[in-house]
Amino acid sequence: MKQVWIIFQTEVLDNIRDTRSWVIGIFFSALFGPIMLGGLLVMIGSSFRKDLDKTLTLPVQNPEYAPALIQFLESHNVITVPAPADPETAVKLGDVNVVLIIPEKFSEEFSSSKPATVQLVLDSSRQSAAVNILRIETLLEGYNTYLGKLRLVVRGVSPEVMDVIAMDKVDVATPQTRAMILLSMLPYFIIFGVFNSSSSIIIDSTAGERERKSLEPLLINPAPRRAFVFGKILSSFPFSIANLALTLIGFGLVFNVMPLEKYLGMQFGLNGMTLIWIFLICLPVIFLASAIQIVVASFTRTPKEAGTYLPFIALIPSLPGLALAFFPVKSNLWLMLIPTFGQQLLVNQMLRLEPISVWNVIASVLTTILVAAAFTWLAILLYNREQIMFRGD
Amino acid sequence: MIEVQNLSKSFGKLKAVQNVSFSAANGQITGLLGPNGAGKSTTLRMLYTLLKPDSGLARIEGFDIAQSPLDVQNHIGVLSDAQGIYERLTTRENIRYFGQLHGMSEQELEKRMDELIIMLEMQSIADRRTKGFSTGERLKVAIARALVHNPGNILLDEPTNGLDVKSTRAMRQFVRNLRDDGKCVILTSHIMQEVSALCDQIIIISNGISTAQGTPDELLQKTGKDNLEDAFIELIGTDEGLA
Repeated sequence: MKQVWIIFQTEVLDNIRDTRSWVIGIFFSALFGPIMLGGLLVMIGSSFRKDLDKTLTLPVQNPEYAPALIQFLESHNVITVPAPADPETAVKLGDVNVVLIIPEKFSEEFSSSKPATVQLVLDSSRQSAAVNILRIETLLEGYNTYLGKLRLVVRGVSPEVMDVIAMDKVDVATPQTRAMILLSMLPYFIIFGVFNSSSSIIIDSTAGERERKSLEPLLINPAPRRAFVFGKILSSFPFSIANLALTLIGFGLVFNVMPLEKYLGMQFGLNGMTLIWIFLICLPVIFLASAIQIVVASFTRTPKEAGTYLPFIALIPSLPGLALAFFPVKSNLWLMLIPTFGQQLLVNQMLRLEPISVWNVIASVLTTILVAAAFTWLAILLYNREQIMFRGD
Repeated sequence: MIEVQNLSKSFGKLKAVQNVSFSAANGQITGLLGPNGAGKSTTLRMLYTLLKPDSGLARIEGFDIAQSPLDVQNHIGVLSDAQGIYERLTTRENIRYFGQLHGMSEQELEKRMDELIIMLEMQSIADRRTKGFSTGERLKVAIARALVHNPGNILLDEPTNGLDVKSTRAMRQFVRNLRDDGKCVILTSHIMQEVSALCDQIIIISNGISTAQGTPDELLQKTGKDNLEDAFIELIGTDEGLA
């Protein structure tokens, strides 16, 4: 065990002196997530609010055929402007979001109580126009219902006959859960960062050491091979732990210091205590990341080859986290048995302020450690083979 | 003291070493001479426990290389073909790493490092990071860390490879000094002149087989030649791959 400590110490010293690599490695991957997520939240939040509050400017063709409708729209915070000469092209090019066209027959159809046609020219694939289109559609439907009911009253029928269903919406989304879709990406960034930060250290101390021809002299020293494997795995820990801590501090800053409330109209449940819990739950992932990577790096011939594999290795365990943003999954004990996925579910629950089952935490931590131990054992087997030295030859 | 009996090793179909036997005594320099690819390095790698022999056995200080590799490693100092050192560590840190792995106490280690630094004339580079060192300087670091635990048996794989004349002469003198200290030194070489100049005992290896062994005089007698280079070529059967 003393030898493990010696190897650990020397590897850490060697890697710390490679300042450029670890500074870029740790800071880039640690701050990438918080900056990216924070930026997305601000962008989406501000565009969403801007569209809701703004008076809607609506280009209308032939407003003179439907003065009552125009009056209705204007009373609902819509400013009508003359439509462009070619509405379809203008919408296609994105010059305007939506154009209302009132055909000449409108007043004729309207007066004879036939359905009077109006045309909306829109591009449903343009996300930025969605809020405006929805507002116009809602207003037109409102006008439709309003006038329809008036006509029934004129004919002596109660307007209630039209209301087959009375819809009463109860929205259970708290302010936090509305931003959850975005926040669900957070575990993805955490796991990805952990895997990424250890990969350069592991590559350097395995495939790199072989390429620099220092592995053979090292292994002639009187220590069991497992001591080298343990020492090398452990030597990546300080760097990944620093990365994980920085990532979480970064998210903490984004969600607590940045004025997200101003942009999104909501606050997030990401306080110091939650961050510490997330940190603890993700610690076993650090072990797993290093153990998987040392196995892969032992197979590869050169650091360059290892460098092409390891980013993919980092992607695989973090992808479920990204999927969580779009396909919400309910946590249960079985899912906790999948290393990295369990952690991502738990982090998600914490962010949602849901109650956490102690058993889920224990299951997730234990299986991750067990799987990491299995990979470590595999690495020791690989290091006991002769090929470990001469793969590059 | 190193004894080798019928050591064999194959890589797939390639028979790298076949039935090589010899013994190397303390206070002697034993040279393995053979062309490139003859199996010298493979033999040495088996002795320093990184390759396991398919058959045969070898003992170093009585410890079997296959049964007790850790004991063997404690009694050997190796300058392997791979001489990579840690470029971000200083000379002392490089040496200290290996000394610590040998379980040396801090006091013992610092004292031995000072000795080696003087012995190898490394005073000016002792506390510099080894990045940018010349081939000769790197070699000194590699030798110092190989000998830090003062082993009784020293295995050198082509120790003068890539050195200039001055460094080669210094290296040879250093090897002689090790012998005079009573160490058992084994070195490999494909340079006939080097083996002639240095070795007390010569083992000729060709195509994985040891074709002859003995003192320089014995080899001359055996072949009836009047100089060692002719004797070597006669025993190997070709001068290809030699220098």
